[in-house]
This record gives sequence, structure tokens and C-alpha cells, in this order.
Amino acid sequence: MGRIVLENVTKSFGDAHVIPPLDLTIEDGEFTVFVGPSGCGKSTLLRLIAGLEETTSGRIVIDDADVTEVSPSKRGLAMVFQSYALYPHMTVRKNIAFPMRMAGVPESEQEERVMAAAKSLNLVDYLDRKPGQLSGGQRQRVAIGRAIVRDPTAFLFDEPLSNLDAALRVGMRLEISEMHERMKTTMIYVTHDQVEAMTMADKIVVLQAGVIEQVGTPLELYRTPRNKFVAGFIGSPKMNFITGEEAAHYGAETIGVRPEHIQVSADSGKWTGKVSVSEHLGSDTFFHIHDTGLADTITVRADGEVSFKHGDTIHLTPREDVVHKFDAAGLRIT
Amino acid sequence: MSNRTLPRLLQTPAVVLLLFWMLIPLSMTLYFSFIRYVLNSLRRPEWTKPSLSNWRGFGNYEFVLNNKDFLLAIQNSLLIVCSILFFTVIFGILIAVLINKSFPGQGIVRVLLISPFFVMPAVNAVLWINMILDPVLGLQGLAVNGLNEVIQALREAPLIGWFFSLWPELTPISFRATQTSAIAVIIMVTWQWTPFAVLIFMTSLQSEDQQQKEAAILDGAGAWSQFRFLTLPHLGRPIAIVVMIQAIFHLSLYAEIEIVSRGNGNKNLPYLIGEFANNNIGAASATGIFAVILANIVAFFLLRMIGKTLME
Ligand SMILES: Nc1ncnc2c1ncn2[C@@H]1O[C@H](COP(=O)(O)OP(=O)(O)OP(=O)(O)O)[C@@H](O)[C@H]1O
Ligand SMILES: [Mg+2]
Repeated sequence: MGRIVLENVTKSFGDAHVIPPLDLTIEDGEFTVFVGPSGCGKSTLLRLIAGLEETTSGRIVIDDADVTEVSPSKRGLAMVFQSYALYPHMTVRKNIAFPMRMAGVPESEQEERVMAAAKSLNLVDYLDRKPGQLSGGQRQRVAIGRAIVRDPTAFLFDEPLSNLDAALRVGMRLEISEMHERMKTTMIYVTHDQVEAMTMADKIVVLQAGVIEQVGTPLELYRTPRNKFVAGFIGSPKMNFITGEEAAHYGAETIGVRPEHIQVSADSGKWTGKVSVSEHLGSDTFFHIHDTGLADTITVRADGEVSFKHGDTIHLTPREDVVHKFDAAGLRIT
Repeated sequence: MSNRTLPRLLQTPAVVLLLFWMLIPLSMTLYFSFIRYVLNSLRRPEWTKPSLSNWRGFGNYEFVLNNKDFLLAIQNSLLIVCSILFFTVIFGILIAVLINKSFPGQGIVRVLLISPFFVMPAVNAVLWINMILDPVLGLQGLAVNGLNEVIQALREAPLIGWFFSLWPELTPISFRATQTSAIAVIIMVTWQWTPFAVLIFMTSLQSEDQQQKEAAILDGAGAWSQFRFLTLPHLGRPIAIVVMIQAIFHLSLYAEIEIVSRGNGNKNLPYLIGEFANNNIGAASATGIFAVILANIVAFFLLRMIGKTLME
């Protein structure tokens, strides 16, 4: 079991109110991702759940037990830190065994569980090394191993992949997803990378300045963002926002069109502009288009075969069924 | 000229200077330790000049080894150095861990803690032996007297008086005596050098990784386990530094020993060298060579011990 409920939780550091009253329920076995811009309180929220920070007010409930005043080690949660936080003077084996050693698990069982974790994480050859002699990806795996052996009710990850290079990040992302499929344990994962959020999550929590902007499945957030902030945050490249007369045609203050929902043409279309930069990724091409009279820059995602050069005139047509409309307060109009 | 030559050339003056700095005193000591060389001799005036014709072979060494104070001096050197190291490291760690937490008045407390280190050793020794440890006039004497008076008064008290009449009268300890003067030296040098250890450990504690601690907290480690498995290994290197530097300094303690007891029953090697050097430079040099050997042995063992236990 691992159902985590936050009720009216707030957190202030002195005068800085980082988390205003916040309610959130994370169901058992769910892979929940907290996303949001830097400094929005993702780590703080995670640390509140872990017990590393005390709540200023409100209740944290894990499996129907109020743990607000319970010490971190008694909450049965395991955390993986961005900086790995491995114990530098201990070998990988001792690092992984440390939580069991603290819990007084018999040596033979410790050894067994360390081996099992090491096997599943491909660490068997490195058990006698110190963390300093491992690569970033291996260190991250050790940190995960240390979390696994505790058999926690929930895993907490604080940007675990942000110190890794791009290729490794994709690999580890898959491994963590597979681990979740296998173990079915509740996981809370903090990231500011919306690709990680979209690919891994069962449920995404979008935060801004400590406030939950929207909670939902990745596709819900992509298809029906509740407001402009979520619309701009989820999806890559970012959604184009158009205000003024064009938006008024749709009966909205602002309209949002995703780059992948715009068709390009050399001779006819609804809007016209000049290509400023075209980025060829092979499979796709991104065009950054100026002088449309709609917004500073319109970004379009077209097929990899489409080719326009700098300065070319380009015609754009949005897919009308997926144009997002927002009112003056930035909320979605349905 | 290859691109290595120039840097080497530029380093040369420093290296040559250091070599002479070390080699000249060491080789002169070696040389003097093998000849007869005294400052004053009416009977054999030719010994008052260092000269190869006064060659004595290992005679000086034999003379020193047969001296009744030599073994005592080695024992004392080791006892004093090891005790000071032990206590300064323990107190240093305790104090550093305590004041590493933030509390009001932190700045003042830190400055006060460091201040003993700025007292001159001779002044430190005079203050301790006369004002604190003196059995009559020092704080110790006053405290013991005061306690005795309190006990005396309690003996008169009804009901509990019988209990206190079982207590013996306390006598103050004389720290200038043969058996205790080494202890006085250990106390005063520990007091003076603990701040040094605190300073080094404190800087190191401030660079300790907080996330590791948080990870340990989540892993169920209590305060003691965090200290034992994270802080202590983290302090391994600073401890080695403190031990090495102090070992070098305290093997050559002199002022404190002179002031506490004039070496009465409490000589260490430097003090013995000083005594020989009043006249017999040859014997003093031989003792000096023994001191160099002892220092190397001590350094070797200390480093191994620390390396083994802390840096796992
Ligand atoms: N110990 C603290 N004292 C004071 N303010 C703090 C403290 N910890 C965090 N904050 C503030 O709380 C806010 C949220 O911080 P937090 O670390 O949770 O952000 P984050 O969403 O994790 O950002 P990032 O993506 O950069 O890691 C920030 O404005 C930060 O300055
Ligand atoms: Mg963070």
C-alpha cells in the first residue's frame, strides 16, 4: 500500500510562503510526476512528504495514518536525490546495505537483498567499488538500489536524472518506468523536464509558485490544459499564443495553437509570414516564423521533408478542432 | 630546450634552497654526533673544536644510550605526545560538532574558543602552573580547600552528618612533583592546542554534504550513526592533518617542561638534548639523531593507524 494524501498543507520559510494551502491525493501504485518551473516548490513539496521539512500547517496522511509528526525514517518512504547522496567512504555494497544495517537486518539477509538489487540494476561488477569510482549513471543506480532494498511504501525521486547526459537520461528513464511496472509501488517523481513528465507519468501535477495548476494524465494535460500556464508548459516545442483581433474571431482573449497543429504551404493558407530559422531534426522540421502580424514568433512543427529557407514566405493553417481558447484570466474556454 | 626544461629550471632555486635548508643542519648534526665535541674542557682543550681528528665513532650514541635519563626521556616524549594528540582530537571533534549548529552568540563563542591558541607557550605554562594548578595559591588549591570546608560543615549537620564523616579529607595534587609534572604539561598543551583542532575540524564540517545526511536520516540512521558513518569518515583527513602537525610540534616541547619542573623527572628528548648541549655537543647531536628516528617512527605508525581506521 502507498496512498499519500496531503490536506491543506502549507509551508513557509520565515516570511516566504512557498506552499499556500494545498490538497493532493496520490493513489496507491501511481506514478505521479511533479513538474513546474525552477523555484516553484517541487522539491519542497517532496521534502514535506519525506519529512525532511516540517509542515507549517496541514496534515500528511500515508495509508490512513497521520504522519505529519512522524520522523522521516518511520514513514517508510525512500528518496533518491539529484546529487545521488551516496556515502562516499563506503563501497557500493555497504551503501546499498546501509538502510538494512540501520534496521538491524541479519547479515545473511542483507547480502541476499544487496545481490538481488545489484542484479536487477546491473551493479554486480561494481559492488566493491567506492562511489567516486563510478560513472554518473552507475551512481544513480546505486542510489536507486539503496532505495529498493528498503522495500518502501513509496519512492520519492528529486530530479534524479538531471545530472546525466541526454542518452543516459533516456535509458534511465526507461529503467525507472520498467521498475515501476514491475514493482507497482507508488512513485513520486520531481522534474522540470516536461518530456520526462509526459513519458513516465500516470498522473502529472503541474505546479507554479507552490500552487497546483492542474492534475491529470499526460494526455489530459496535453489535450485540455486548464489554463495558459499549463498549456505553455506541457508540450514541446511550446504552444503558440495569439492575442488581439485574430483571437477575438474565436471569441477568446487568447488562443493557443500547438506547433504540430499548424499546416504549412508555399502558396495558400490562413496566415502568412516569413521564415526566420528552420531547424532540421531529420524526422521533423521546426520553423520559426516572423512577420505574421499575430505574435512575435510562431513556431511550427512540420514533416522532415518540408523545406523552406530563411526569408521564404510561408502560409500557415491551424487545425481548427485543436485550437485552444482562453479568457482574459487565462482560463480555458470550452 | 624542451617544454619541460624551463619549468624545471625555474623550480631549481626553491628546490636547492630547501635541500640546503634541510641537509646542512642534518648533516652537521650527523657529523657532530660522531666526534668528540665539547664547549669547555680544561683537560682536553683539543675537543672544543669540531674536527675529524676527534672521531669517536658510535661512542656518543653509546654514551647517550647508557645515560640513565635516556629511556625515561623517550617514554616521556611518547606519553606526552600521544596523550596530547588523543585529547585534542577527541575534544576538538566534540567541540567542533557542538558549535557547528547555529545558535545565538555563535561568532563570539568561536572567537573565544580559538583564543587559547594565540597565547605564547611560555605564558600559557606559567599561567597554568601558578594560577590554576598550584596546590596552594592556584584555582586547584582554592577549590580543594573550599570543598573540604563544605564537607567539614556538612559533618556537623544532623541526620546526614554521619555520611559525610565517612569522607576523607581531600588533598590538593602537586603538579610539580616527579610523577605528576608530565600530566600538568599534557593538560596545558591540550588546552592550548584543542582550538587548533577545533578550527580544522570546523572548516571540514562545514563542507559536509547535507544531502548525504538527509539520505541517512531517511535510511533510519540516528544522530550517533550519522556521526559514526558519515561525519567521522569525513573528518578522516583533517584528523590526519591535526595529528601530523601536532606530532611534529609536540615532539619538540620544551618551554612547558622547563617551566613546570625544570625537567625534574619529566625530561623529554628535546629537554635532554638541551641538557647535553650545555657542554657536550657530541652527545646532544647523537640524541638529536635519536629524536629524528623517533619522529619518523611515530609519524609512520600514526599515519598507518589513522589510514586504517578512518579511511576504510
Ligand atoms: N530552506 C529554505 N529557506 C528559505 N527558502 C527556501 C528554502 N528552501 C527552499 N526555499 C524557497 O522555496 C522556493 C521553492 O524551492 P524548491 O527547492 O522547492 O524549488 P524547486 O521547484 O525544487 O526548484 P528547482 O526546479 O530549481 O529544483 C524557492 O523560492 C526557494 O527559494
Ligand atoms: Mg528542486
